[in-house]
Amino acid sequence: MKPILRAVRLTKVYENEGVKTPALQGVDLEVAPGEFTAVAGPSGSGKSTLLHILGCLDTPTAGETWLGERRTDQLDDVARAHLRLREIGFVFQAYNLIPVLTVLENAAFVLELQGVPKKVRHERAMAALEALGIADLAHRRPNQLSGGQQQRVAVARALAAEPRVVLADEPTANLDSKTGLALIELMKKLNAERGVTFLFSTHDPRLLAHVKRIIRLEDGRVVADERVDAA
Amino acid sequence: MWALAWRNVWRHKTRSLVACGAVAAAVAFTLVFFGFVEATKTGMFEVLTSDSGHLQITSSRAEGAPDFDSRLIRHAAQVEAALLQELRDVQLRRVLEVPALISGETRARGALVVGMAHDDALGERFARKHVAAGRLPAPGSWDEIALGEALARALQVELGDPIYVFAPGTEGWGAAAYTLVGLLDFPQTSYEIQVAYLSLEGAQVLAAPGAVTRLEVHLSPGRGVPADTLIEETKARAAAVLGPDVRVQTWREAAPDMAAMLDMMDPGMTIFACLIFVLAGLLVVNTIYLSLVERIREFGVMIALGADRWRVMRMVLAESLVLVLAGTAAGLLVGGALIAGWADGFRMPGLDEVLAEFGLPVVLYPSVTPVQVAVTIAYAVFTALAAALWPAWVAGRLQPVEAMRHVA
Repeated sequence: MKPILRAVRLTKVYENEGVKTPALQGVDLEVAPGEFTAVAGPSGSGKSTLLHILGCLDTPTAGETWLGERRTDQLDDVARAHLRLREIGFVFQAYNLIPVLTVLENAAFVLELQGVPKKVRHERAMAALEALGIADLAHRRPNQLSGGQQQRVAVARALAAEPRVVLADEPTANLDSKTGLALIELMKKLNAERGVTFLFSTHDPRLLAHVKRIIRLEDGRVVADERVDAA
Repeated sequence: MWALAWRNVWRHKTRSLVACGAVAAAVAFTLVFFGFVEATKTGMFEVLTSDSGHLQITSSRAEGAPDFDSRLIRHAAQVEAALLQELRDVQLRRVLEVPALISGETRARGALVVGMAHDDALGERFARKHVAAGRLPAPGSWDEIALGEALARALQVELGDPIYVFAPGTEGWGAAAYTLVGLLDFPQTSYEIQVAYLSLEGAQVLAAPGAVTRLEVHLSPGRGVPADTLIEETKARAAAVLGPDVRVQTWREAAPDMAAMLDMMDPGMTIFACLIFVLAGLLVVNTIYLSLVERIREFGVMIALGADRWRVMRMVLAESLVLVLAGTAAGLLVGGALIAGWADGFRMPGLDEVLAEFGLPVVLYPSVTPVQVAVTIAYAVFTALAAALWPAWVAGRLQPVEAMRHVA
């Protein structure tokens, strides 16, 4: 099966006032459609940077990135924004919901950016909220929700637009263990039932215990790529 | 997008209300300003033309020749007949101005004796405007006179007293006695102290039988300000039938300084309104930019989720438009209410005499046209777009990863 995400000799060097800091140093990686994969490693190992570059949020200093058949590292801002909008779902560590929108409007936000008519986008967003078990919170504002509920809304926002791949940057880092575990189970279920490709960055052992593959990063290099039997 | 913009605008109620209030004040002020400038223009025009006409016909020999004879249009009746044959819907005032010495029982003074005859509507308007006591000399009378109030005071005369006029070097009797039948009030004291009014016939018998020094043509009296094109067209028609012996001047040519002042009012009004909106716009810039700085992380998320640069810029512009249009709506209400309240006449307390002295209308009747309301709204919309341009540009250039790491 052709990979949905691919990185070839991926390098990223940050430069600040003449000081160069390598974040990724020649990372090679392939993720197949339907995989439930985690990128693990200590803080500063380059996990988030890798996800940002694969998700077209950032550009590499050198190397190639591919989303399906399309090479993405050379795209301009507009084309990368278009790809993010149509092909990729994001879940962030800090939830990053829009505080003035209701849960339903947050879940429908990407669909609104896509220009989907209001009725259709609300139907699809509501379906995503139902799948995540938070349909009853649809008309609340984010500040009326717990952290776990907010992260579920963020997942619903990512899934409502039916992206080819969901990139989640430390999605359980701000959640207590029970809420984190519930969210993991939910994403795992969506992966199994809908075949959505998930790629996480995490150092949360609870999440690592449930993924099918762990790519370990250290100092910007892949040091291990393990297939595991998830619980 | 608009619902999101509306909610974002009211995140910081106080700050948004201040900016909104500034816009409302600018809109209300501009609307009221438009109303008053328009009223001033109309008032000035009325003051200027009601006593001198939209067109003035004088002797072509009068220019540069101060002597009485050169100023006369002889055979005024023929000139008038020719004029009325060409111009139908106009009213005429015939004027004969005679420099003279006027005397009461004890005092005398140099003065300008004005013989005047006019169509009924013009006569009534002149009397309504200027007669302070008594009445105007009856049409055709040879022995009645009305004096400016200040002149009457200077001569120490009252209604019913005899008045003596000497006009040496003229072509009529050159001297006559009259009864004072009216006292006249004029805005300019300098005019009021040197003017006396007779009937036209009375003045002609005194100084120049059958002649006038000026014919005034009044277009559409009481129907607002006639367009310059109509006045110019009427002037051309009048000049064509009257020939070279007389000179036809528009009110602009007869009073170029006042015409220039009137012409300056529209550009002046535009500049003033622009300055007001620039000041309000600065507050809007401040509000929108602070809102942007506080929400950089949020914009970063939107960009990360796929909002392109133009979409983000449109969001910022929409917020500015929502803020400014809310202020505009409030400003239109306030401005409209003020103008409606003053529509029956606004008088600046204590300034009547000062305004009148400068030939300015004492009572203003402010009103605004739909075009002026549209122009005010256009100013506001332009302010909203201009004020948001820089914050929108900044937002559109945000890089998602950096923006999401931003701490306000």
